[in-house]
Order: sequence, then structure tokens, then C-alpha cells
Amino acid sequence: MRESWKEEVGSSRSKKTMKAIPHILEHDFRMFFRYKWWLAGLISMNLADLFIMAVIYTGMIREDIIVNYFKFFSPGITITALFAAAFMIGREVNFEQRRSFSHYMLSLPMTRFELALGRVLSGGIRGMVYMSPLLLTTFVFLGLPTLPQLLTILGVLFAIAIGISGLSIALAVSTKSFEKFVTSRGVVYYLLFFASTIFYPMRSPQLLTQLQGVVPQPIITLALVNPLSCGADLIRSYLLNDPPFSIDFIVNVLIFSAIFTIGSAVAYIKMIERD
Amino acid sequence: MTKIWTVVERDVRMFLQYKFMLIMRGIWFVAQISLFGLVVSRIVVVGNYFQYYAAGCAIIMLFSTSMFIGYDIYEEAEHGVVEYLLSLPVSRRELVLGRSIGGGLRSFVYVGPLLGVVLVLTGVTNPLNVIVAFLSLFLFAFGVSGLSITLAVGIKSHDKFDILLGVLDALIVRLSTTLYPKVAMMQASPVYSNLAQFNPLTFASDLFRWGAGLEGFFPDLTNPVVAIAGLILFFSIFVFISITIYERKLEGGGWQ
Repeated sequence: MRESWKEEVGSSRSKKTMKAIPHILEHDFRMFFRYKWWLAGLISMNLADLFIMAVIYTGMIREDIIVNYFKFFSPGITITALFAAAFMIGREVNFEQRRSFSHYMLSLPMTRFELALGRVLSGGIRGMVYMSPLLLTTFVFLGLPTLPQLLTILGVLFAIAIGISGLSIALAVSTKSFEKFVTSRGVVYYLLFFASTIFYPMRSPQLLTQLQGVVPQPIITLALVNPLSCGADLIRSYLLNDPPFSIDFIVNVLIFSAIFTIGSAVAYIKMIERD
Repeated sequence: MTKIWTVVERDVRMFLQYKFMLIMRGIWFVAQISLFGLVVSRIVVVGNYFQYYAAGCAIIMLFSTSMFIGYDIYEEAEHGVVEYLLSLPVSRRELVLGRSIGGGLRSFVYVGPLLGVVLVLTGVTNPLNVIVAFLSLFLFAFGVSGLSITLAVGIKSHDKFDILLGVLDALIVRLSTTLYPKVAMMQASPVYSNLAQFNPLTFASDLFRWGAGLEGFFPDLTNPVVAIAGLILFFSIFVFISITIYERKLEGGGWQ
């Protein structure tokens, strides 16, 4: 009798978990589309980067390093879009923290863990939704991957998106000061962006030789293990065959994603309980 | 004149309150030059690209910080500060002129040291050219502030203003010679190159490179006389338009 009661409670809890997370996703999605003007500005910037900047750089970049910069950059801009949209959740979490909105969050009929996981997932899904038109654009110009490749790409991109969302939430809950948050966010944002293979092929031996003694080694190492690099290079390896596919791309992303998803969920729970 | 200066001083002080924005812009500038500029200069066929790029980034900073005055105007309208400003013993024209000058001057105060850093990187060959270039960049900053004020008072929705600035920033910066030489734009698309010819950012960045003595490396830079004439025209049009529209909107609650 006692065992069956436990099972019933357990099953009802897991059903509740299933029910609560979609509500958080819905809330965060509604919030996301309230920034429609911001999103429109971001899209125009991404498209301008691809169809103006990348087109011009195609004629400027040495062909022995990148044959076609437009094609090279297309997966990069996809990751850029994913990053920008997934990273946005931190801004909202920091705002809620500063305004003590977390009191309301705690009054909702859901567990702390559901709430934290829901926030991380919604940040990731928002990134995937925003990124999808740019991924399609990449497929249009670079060709279609096979079905297993497509599933791998989507899986890895989703892992990156929730990792970024987690990273952003971890930064947001680390301080109540808006200035400190904005500054730390800016440093992380630009470091991950520019110390990556989004804009340049840092894995190319020719480029690496040229960068010796010019760019500090830690920056080069970061560029090679950076999840944004791994995501962009995974797409390139499937669609352009350069760089060659490496299982490290997937492993690096999974490690990054696991660390920041769990870390940020724990940090978020601690933050709302502390307040 | 004293009253105009008071308005200018207020705008400069207001600007220093946007610490986070200034820090973010500073981080952007350092990241652009020390990471992107450094790496890309190794893979392009353009010689001395690092200096070229650093100069362009400084001009982008000047452009984006000068645009910020538009946000101030929205904030003031939303928080009822316009009524307070109108109650001051300053004429409408002095207020508007002061805003336009203040918007340009404060961005110059912020970006000036960065322009100095770029000059240290590139080296100064002709101090007279540097002075002429800086004076022209003053006009450019005032003109951009005028453009921002014109947009802010012309568009009543904050959201629409935000997106328009985003789109303008995306297009104006990329369709200029701030990031790449004109010859590269011409090779990619004559349309891009033609549009860049009339872009005030092209005039400003080419003039700054001329002042920094980079014209020897990039002979396709716009003729400095043409660039100065372009900036004077840009400054005159947008400062005049912004003063006229802003002054008119201030009467009868037109800003609401």
C-alpha cells in the first residue's frame, strides 16, 4: 500500500514536471517575442554581415587559406545568431533578480529545479528558433547534409544553445549590479566571439604558423576548444569537408553544455532562495 | 553663448552616467582591434590592413556614440524631463543647438583618446593633416548627432527608433570604407562601392586615414577635399534639419 502511494506521488510529480516546464517555456517565449524590434535589428545585422561583409571579404582573403570566405562564414553567422539569441535570457534573469521578481517565481506551483531547468531550456530553444532561418540559408548556399548529419548538427547546436543559455544565466545571477553584469557579459561575449573559428580558420596550420608570437597561446587554445568554434566547424566539416570531421567537436560541446546547464541551474536555485 | 554651453555641459555630464554603455563600447573596440583585426590582417591580401582596420573601428565608435543622443531624447520625453527643460531660462533655439553640439562633443571626448591610440599605432607623419582630420571629425560627430536627433523626434515609437538605428548601423557601417578598402568593395559589387562613395562614414574614415598618413598604402582613399566637402554638407544638412524639427516639436507638446 505504502509502495503504491509512493509510486503514485512519484508519477504525479513527474507529470507535474512535464507540465511545469512547458509553462516556463511559454512564458519565456512570449517575453522573447516582445523584443521583436530588437530581433529585427539583430537579423538585419546578421544578414548585412553575411551578404555585405562576407561577400566583400571573399575577394580580400587569401585563397590559400580560405577558398571562399562567404561559404566559410555562413556556418559562422548561424552560430553567431544562435549565440546572440540564447545569450539574451541572462539579461532577463538579471533584470528579475534586480527587481526581486524571483519572489513571484518562487510562489509558482513548481519546484526550484523545474524552474531553473525551464529557464535554461527556454534560453536554448529561443536560440534554436532564432537561428533556424540562418541555418536554412547556410544549407541553401552550402548544400544539404545527409539525414544523420542533419540530426547531429541540430543536436550539437541545441547542446550549444542550452550551454550558452546556462552560461548567460550563471553570469546574470553572479551579481545584482547591472554595470558589473553588462561588463562581464561583454567580456565573455567578445572573447567567445573573436577567440573562435567563427570569422577565421584558426585550425588552419598556415594561419596558426602566422599567429605564433602574435596572438597569445591561451587565446588560440580557447579558439580551438570554444563550443562556438566546434559548432561552426562541425557544419563546415559536413558541408565543406574542411576542417575534417573530428569527434572532439561533439565532445567539447557536450562537456561545455553539461557544465553550464547543471552549474547555472544550481546557481539559479541558490540565487532565488537567497533572495 | 553661455546658455548654449550650459546645455552642452549638461549633455556631456549625462553621457558620463552611461557607464555600462561606455565600458561595453570600450571592450568592443579592444576586442575588435586586438583579436579580429590582428588575425584578419594575417589572412587578407591587403597590406597594412591592421592599421586600416584600427582606424575604421575608431570611426565606427565615433558614429555609434554620437548616435546615442537620440536615446536621451526618448528618455527625456518618457520621464517628463522635456517640460523641465522648457521651463529653463534658455531659448528653444539655444536648447536645440546646445543638444546638437553636446551630442557631438561628448562622443568626441570619449572617442578622442581612442583616436589617439590609433594614431600611436599608425604613427603621425603630418601633424597639420591630423588637425584638419580631427576638425572634420568634429563636424562628422555633430552631423551624426543631428541625424540621431532628427530620427528621434521624427519617429515617436521607441521600438521603431531602436530598430531603425540597428538597421542603419548595420547598413551604414558595412556599406562604407570603415572595414575594407574601396577597391575590395568594387570587386565584390559595384553597387556596394557606389553606395559607399556617398556614405559620410566613408568620408570620415578616409579622412582620418589621410590624417594618420595611411594614404600611401591605400591610394584609393577619397580625396581629402571631397571628403571634407562631403562632411561639411552632411553636418550642415543634419544639424539644420534637426534644429528645425526639434524646435518645432518642442512647441505644443509635439514630443509626446
